[in-house]
Amino acid sequence: MESSKEEFLEILSNYQGILHKVSLIYFRNKSEREDNFQEIIYQLWKSFPQLKNKNSIGSWIYAVSINTSIYRLRKESRIEYREKLPESVDKFDLIEELSFNETSRRLLKAIYNLNEIDKSIMLLYLEEKSYDEIAEILGLSKSNVGVRISRAKELLKQNLSHGK
Amino acid sequence: MENNELQNTWKNIDAEINRKTTDELDQYLTAKCRKTMNKFLFLLSIDIVTAIGLIVFLIITAFNRQGDLIYQSNNLILGLITLSALVISFFSLKKLQGNRFNLPLKELLEQRIKLLSEWLMGRYSKLHIVLIPILVAMIMLSIHVYYEYKPFLEVMKDGESVYGLIAGFTVGLFVSFFAVSKIRKYQLKNLEFLNDLHGQLCNIN
Repeated sequence: MESSKEEFLEILSNYQGILHKVSLIYFRNKSEREDNFQEIIYQLWKSFPQLKNKNSIGSWIYAVSINTSIYRLRKESRIEYREKLPESVDKFDLIEELSFNETSRRLLKAIYNLNEIDKSIMLLYLEEKSYDEIAEILGLSKSNVGVRISRAKELLKQNLSHGK
Repeated sequence: MENNELQNTWKNIDAEINRKTTDELDQYLTAKCRKTMNKFLFLLSIDIVTAIGLIVFLIITAFNRQGDLIYQSNNLILGLITLSALVISFFSLKKLQGNRFNLPLKELLEQRIKLLSEWLMGRYSKLHIVLIPILVAMIMLSIHVYYEYKPFLEVMKDGESVYGLIAGFTVGLFVSFFAVSKIRKYQLKNLEFLNDLHGQLCNIN
């Protein structure tokens, strides 16, 4: 048990960036992100015994992180529907992310403007995941992934140009 | 921004993220496990205390009415229902604890939608309409008849007692249906949200 915990913590330590990034795109508030980060760790730990293929650790972490975040949004009714977003996003101040430069902030704001599913698609695209990996994580077909990525990219670029 | 530019900006964001140490991650995990376990035990203890309290009441009152067969049968059935509810809630809580998030998103959404749809619109979704009045009536009878200090049939023949029972039954029914409708409304909203997400994921038009 202790050795599996050590192994888990080692994996977690190496891949924790994924957890931070998924929390970052779904939760704007720092404390919500911390809560979500902790929840993802717990969900990963729960499903760790089922992880058989150590070659797909990344995909497993992405899947659990995205699913947990979306489930948390549902549970806490934090979902914001697209039609309500434009004004709230413009008002949103990334003051907490002071270390991010202007370009990074613009990109984050543009991502916040996407719907929940497009956010995860865009994240996986920006992380340079292959179509196969994205299809595996989201449960979509490869061709569907291609269509979804180009559409999400288009929306992101529109959001970026509006945010100038 | 071009595609490469997007990915490079994203890399900058990645580089700015503060990583936690292994000790910090361990503390996060331990704290969360403890919190979840406490929540599970808290919910379970509420369940157990309520159910045991009711069962003890049913046993004591049934013993005090040794000759009243109808009253004893009423209490026996109520006791069995309470016991079954306790076992079901224990397994439901355990099942809830065992939820796994390591499935592909589409599969997870479909699983949850199926589960909620069955509960809200499935074959047994209207069962509560029949069960609630029966249970409320049985509980009312058990309490009311006992504190009237008369046999079951005599209480039923007493007009004043019957009016009291009807009033108590109506209030109990209203409270129970109100609570159930609140829960169902919340779950319907959840189902709507999950369907919306599933639509976002699968709709490529």
